[in-house]
Amino acid sequence: MRVSYQWLCELAGVNDVPPDRGAQVLTMAGWNVESVTLLDLSEIRVGGVISLEPHPTSRNPLWVYQVDLGNETRQIIAGVDNAVPGSLVPVALPGTTVPNGAVVRDLKIAGVAGQGMLCAADELLLGDDHSGIMLLDEGEPGQPLDELIPSDAVLDVEVTPNRPDCLSHLGLARELAAALGRSLPGDFMPPFTGGIEPPGTELVKVDIEAPDLCRRYIGAVISGVTVGASPRWLQRRLRLCGVRPISNVVDVTNYVALEYGQPLHAFDLERLEGKRIIVRRARSSERLLCLDGEDRTLTPEMLVIADAERPVALAGIIGGEESAVTDSTTEILLEAANFDGVNVRATSRAIRLRTEASSRFEKGLSPELALAGARRAATLLSQVAGGQVHVGWADEYPRPQEPVRVHFRPEQIDAILGVHVPLEEMEAILQRLGFQVRVQDGDWDVLPPVFRLDVTMRADVAEEVGRIYGYDKVPPTLPGRRRTRWVPAAPSVERRLDSVRHALAGSGLTEVLTQALVDGSLLDRMGLGEGMLQVVNPVSEGQDSLRTSLLPSLLEVAAANRNRGRAAVFVFEIGRVYLRRPAEPEGQPAEPQRLAALRSGLATASGGRSAFLELKGALERTIDSLAPLKLTYERSSSPLFHPGRCARVLLQGRQLGYLGELHPTVLEMVDLEGRAAALEIDLEPVLAADPTRRARPLPRFPAVNRDLAVVVAERVEAASLQATIESAAGELLESARAFDEYRGGQLPPGCKSVAFALTFRTQERTLTDPEVDAVVQRIKTALAERHGATFRE
Amino acid sequence: MLAEILEIRDSGLAAAAQADSDEALEQVRIQYLGRKGRFSTLTPRLPLLPPEERPRVGELINESKRAIEEAVAARSAQLARERLERLGDTEAIDVTFPGTPPALGRLHVLTLVQREIETVMETLGYHVEIGPDVETDWYNFEALNLPVGHASRDMQDTFFMNASEELLLRTHTSPMQIRAMERLKTPPIYAAIPGRTFRRDATDPSHLSQFMQVEALAIDEGITVGDLKGTILYFAQSLWGADRRIRIRPSFFPYTEPSFEFDLSCGVCGGEGCRTCGGDGWLEVGGCGMIHPNVLRNGGIDPERYSGFAWGFGIERIAMLKYDVDDIRLFYENDLRFLEQFA
Repeated sequence: MRVSYQWLCELAGVNDVPPDRGAQVLTMAGWNVESVTLLDLSEIRVGGVISLEPHPTSRNPLWVYQVDLGNETRQIIAGVDNAVPGSLVPVALPGTTVPNGAVVRDLKIAGVAGQGMLCAADELLLGDDHSGIMLLDEGEPGQPLDELIPSDAVLDVEVTPNRPDCLSHLGLARELAAALGRSLPGDFMPPFTGGIEPPGTELVKVDIEAPDLCRRYIGAVISGVTVGASPRWLQRRLRLCGVRPISNVVDVTNYVALEYGQPLHAFDLERLEGKRIIVRRARSSERLLCLDGEDRTLTPEMLVIADAERPVALAGIIGGEESAVTDSTTEILLEAANFDGVNVRATSRAIRLRTEASSRFEKGLSPELALAGARRAATLLSQVAGGQVHVGWADEYPRPQEPVRVHFRPEQIDAILGVHVPLEEMEAILQRLGFQVRVQDGDWDVLPPVFRLDVTMRADVAEEVGRIYGYDKVPPTLPGRRRTRWVPAAPSVERRLDSVRHALAGSGLTEVLTQALVDGSLLDRMGLGEGMLQVVNPVSEGQDSLRTSLLPSLLEVAAANRNRGRAAVFVFEIGRVYLRRPAEPEGQPAEPQRLAALRSGLATASGGRSAFLELKGALERTIDSLAPLKLTYERSSSPLFHPGRCARVLLQGRQLGYLGELHPTVLEMVDLEGRAAALEIDLEPVLAADPTRRARPLPRFPAVNRDLAVVVAERVEAASLQATIESAAGELLESARAFDEYRGGQLPPGCKSVAFALTFRTQERTLTDPEVDAVVQRIKTALAERHGATFRE
Repeated sequence: MLAEILEIRDSGLAAAAQADSDEALEQVRIQYLGRKGRFSTLTPRLPLLPPEERPRVGELINESKRAIEEAVAARSAQLARERLERLGDTEAIDVTFPGTPPALGRLHVLTLVQREIETVMETLGYHVEIGPDVETDWYNFEALNLPVGHASRDMQDTFFMNASEELLLRTHTSPMQIRAMERLKTPPIYAAIPGRTFRRDATDPSHLSQFMQVEALAIDEGITVGDLKGTILYFAQSLWGADRRIRIRPSFFPYTEPSFEFDLSCGVCGGEGCRTCGGDGWLEVGGCGMIHPNVLRNGGIDPERYSGFAWGFGIERIAMLKYDVDDIRLFYENDLRFLEQFA
């Protein structure tokens, strides 16, 4: 909210606190001041125009003014001629910074010297008029302008949604005064003077048909109004707060909203059919031409102000064009009402229109505020629009606001804050904020001011005391006492995943983090759309679905890095994917923790095979970092992967995911050239496995190593050869591992040679060569029988 | 023959002394002591000598061979010594040549920061709680004192899911306050809650619609605002150094009462005010407050007996402050040139 500091200080009775200090005090009391804009008029002087004549030589339309500044005369060049001899104008001399930020300099145009600037209203931030030099109504040449128009500062204050009472200068003035240790002069409820007959209640009849949505409706009749421009001081304050002046009647309603926080509306009483006000729900497909020029179709959820015939305003949001105050209006109905915040918010969202009024009502205002606003506006209207206020206002208030009392003992406040606040100080703080305090035997009973609907319990009072007392006076402490219960320390999932990250980083992969919301259409094209959840209201199409796989994102990372000159990446990500549960499609989805890795930028088929094996090795190292587990692999197929180079990864027979080279069409979808290998597995079963490790005794006898080159047909897989070797060898075989694959040379076509490293050992003695030879012979026989293998020496 | 022996011995000793390499020395050894060496030619002639001379001559041959063996060994040791002495010259490398590190990947900078945060909290006796990203309206809003239709919900613009009207992407980690209370049931509860969060905001250098938060939650008897301040201060000093200060400013969150924003003293100017902190000496870090009694009640905990605090902040924000990163989007662009700067 934009606040005039001068206005604020006037209401707060403060005149000795500069704006920067005031901003700091407000911030530490909970009113974050985001910016302070100084409007210093003390350097601007009143000038009296002596004469003006066109610039003698310039081809541009320029005028040379002689201006009286009291004790001197200055020659000043201007681009307009609306000031005439005798006009009083604001003058900025060279070296002055005018409020809009411009610095005035000596200048010379086509041989004619200028020594200053005649200011337009917008340059002084006194209006938005830039069409001519600002003409002053009063003043003496040479007089500082701020003697006529006070200097000011605009504070941009962040008002939290629990305090709509402070969307007002009066509310913030009370806060400023309280934080400075002072009290606000004057009562919250303004006096009301005047009143002519007949009573307003005889001139207009008000009914609330929807008391659940309208808690109070005050209608004051003011007659004899002359609609015209507001006085300059009023216009200036509105402008400083970012509100455009329209006419005295409208300006007063806006002014009082800024002062008290109560939105108001003025109807032209003569344009209200039947001189009736009915607050009711809109009828289906009723229409209202609103003040912003939009013709809106209403629905029965919306609350309207209607006359005898039709809606004339959308309650708490915007007025109607057909009942609006015009230049010829003489009799007005001033509305000060209270509408339900939830309903105003819903309607405002439905029609996508948020106004000064709706943004106040939606936070929930006190119905007591309506009377204060009506009184203040009535007084002002009689002052600035010549209106006469009728006695006897319509005031429909079916359920008056109940007073809320909060009981506590002061030590309970201390116990929340962690500091002892002296009792006198606690009482003084609450009183400065408008609370009534009753103390009896150490029990306190406080009554918050009527406009404070947010204070209902002890913690609320603690907040009031704390923020004015000053949280800087609360000593920092660490909680700690003798505990009788605790949660034993155990490595968190994140700590356990760190071992995965380290194993992968140690294998040369770099960790990336991609977003959970992704482009659903890409997942669909990659065949990953099953079980996908979508966002109803995405910010962009590229982020409209929750990912069901990490791999598309990794591919995009590879493509993005390729675009920046990095042809190959070797990356991994650990993160969740989101899968609708088939048994409960409307419930929260499963969010399994996945690991994915990608090696991109491989030029050849053999490069692809190496990358596959590298990822496989890294995966095994990674799984081992979590628990001593053994993975198995089966040839498989998946839409993402190369049909001949894809394996299912299994843990104890349960599928964890896939490992393979990516399918060329998938790479094409993200515009990646070359080959890429990738894996994606579920980490949950691995995390759930028993991580316990037990030390094995070291062997006491040496091993015997043999290499065996097995020549078999292409289609025979290493895993089945290994299984045959293990079952044929018996106990003496400690390990068998394929380490090389060879084709061509003297091998028959369609055949390959797989080299195994065999290690034999027993715990009882040193093995002899003949013993080992016998086992190797058994292995060979079995391989020959089962796989048609031959052997290379 | 004696003279001949002495002559061979002397020439052998001289040759050994003069040998200037291991190879030359080996040649000397072979030439004099080998199977076909010069002494071996003498041995067949021994039987030709008179028997009484044989022992003396034999003795002399053996002594001479031993002398040469010793000379060869001595020379060999000397050569080795000399070689060691010259090692600095003979095997010098250019030690300023750039290193060639084995290939190693890196952890993401946000992982590093998250771990650091969790480690500090674990040191204080907090444990890490993890919860779902897709939340229900109840846990994300209603249970946290944010009723349907309430204007405070506008503070957190929300992504809703197509599967059900109840489902949304959590706008903060605070739903885990309720889940932690439900799971652990009885205080004391000291938990740190990291996780992804989502807000329907436009993306710019300081905002993301998908980001990560960490939340600290303490529920116990007698927890005060002072405890909240102290815990945040401990955290800030652990992460940024013992000279840092914090302040809390009153603010508003529906799920805490009183509520605050907390700021960190600027590390560039030390709180004096500079361009980094926008002139006031403080950097905004996160939000905090004393848990609202309604929230405790919704988590099944008696607010008359227990009180608690919660504070949270964006992990990216912490990483930006820690590493001087000026654009939050860099964390998720995964440009390796960026990621490789952190370890």
